[in-house]
Amino acid sequence: MAVIDFEFRNSIIQKDLGNTLSYCYQCGTCSGVCPVAQVTKGRYNPRKLILNSLLGLKENLLLGAENNFNIWGCTVCDTCDEMCPQNVELTEIFTILKNMSVKKGEAPDYYTTQAKFILEHGKAIPLAPAIERRREQMGLPKTPKVDKKEIRALLKETGLVKIIGSLEEEKKEGVK
Amino acid sequence: MEAYDLFPGCVIQNRIPYIEDSARKVFDKLGIKTSDAPFGCCPDPVGFNAVHHKSWTAMSARNLTIAENDGRSIASLCNGCTQTLKAVNVELKQNEEERASINAILTKIGREFKGTISVKHFVQVLIEDVGIEKIKEAITTPFTGLKVACHTGCHYARPSHIMQWDDPMEPKCLRELVEATGATAVDYDEEVLCCGAGVGNTEEEPAMQILKQKLDSALEAKADCFVVICPACFQQMDGNQRILKKMFEKDYNIPILYLTELFALAMGYKYDDLNLKLHRARPQALLEKYNAV
Repeated sequence: MAVIDFEFRNSIIQKDLGNTLSYCYQCGTCSGVCPVAQVTKGRYNPRKLILNSLLGLKENLLLGAENNFNIWGCTVCDTCDEMCPQNVELTEIFTILKNMSVKKGEAPDYYTTQAKFILEHGKAIPLAPAIERRREQMGLPKTPKVDKKEIRALLKETGLVKIIGSLEEEKKEGVK
Repeated sequence: MEAYDLFPGCVIQNRIPYIEDSARKVFDKLGIKTSDAPFGCCPDPVGFNAVHHKSWTAMSARNLTIAENDGRSIASLCNGCTQTLKAVNVELKQNEEERASINAILTKIGREFKGTISVKHFVQVLIEDVGIEKIKEAITTPFTGLKVACHTGCHYARPSHIMQWDDPMEPKCLRELVEATGATAVDYDEEVLCCGAGVGNTEEEPAMQILKQKLDSALEAKADCFVVICPACFQQMDGNQRILKKMFEKDYNIPILYLTELFALAMGYKYDDLNLKLHRARPQALLEKYNAV
């Protein structure tokens, strides 16, 4: 049985990004306009995610839950935010939840892999030699060099290096 | 005309550079001046923001400081980059507390966000800086009779309170620009539907179902091709038609053109000049009808 955790609910509301949560009156507009809810027949359901956030039912959201599609089913089209009659910023609330899910090591691989690429190369998609040649053939200018060292220093300062580092540690422990 | 720092974004720059090439050709024809700058990742509003919001904000702010130091606003070729850079620019301009917290981080790498520039999607630059009339004057190969399904994509005008541009649920600018080439922008039911790329990072099937809805709806409206303004949408829509074929046993083969490709063609460039053979759904047969091959 899910346990109500008010601390969890407050940890969403107290953030700048999440302070519209309490305006939700569960009308269901978000789920009605959500393209993923439609094609998954409600397996992804933004109204329910917001209800679980409001009630502080952490176990229904942060995963290892029965429905691990949950927050990661969001396609980030921002349609629900636009249509919500209460101006609840659902996508921002899901961002907070996703950030929590990443720390628990439960994000789909795509996300952590991309973050590692950005940390290492300064870009999500680094320049491959084949593309560099193609750019040259097209007469495109050389892509300006990205200061990778500066970006790494920045992301150390923001805490990303630590988050990625501890995920790697967990992975290693898991292998052992 | 105002000069910009060009922000091609890493998908266009490092994966599908033929789109950057078409944009540069069109900008030259229309007198839009841009400079290159050593930007990092924008970073991705779907991926990186979901991993760590603070890092996403700080990386974006760092890019903004590069343009600020150049004294130029940013013209972006990508919806995602536009949304990330604009969202952070607006947030840090309005929210003093957040600005102080991000500047405390930026100062460690010798930077400061000042809030002196703006961020524009290239569609906005075309409409505001050049204007429809001047674009019409530059058209030498009109696309009269071509039926286009316009797909603006999600991060171009939403969330509207931040993007403050065009209509978030009934976008108009892309239609106007497409029609400036003589083509017709068809009405189709799923015009504002997402391309499905976002959920594809988690699971393939719902992403393909959404894409199918989108393509079916355009075909029902008798569209000859799509015109898009976002590289993530482009890759999802051009690259995945073969997956749709496997999944739903239906041949789509509907060309996906970037707006700058359609413009370059309408301004006299040909199929080979623009490396359009690199598209998965090749537009060759379609363009032959318009003497653009």
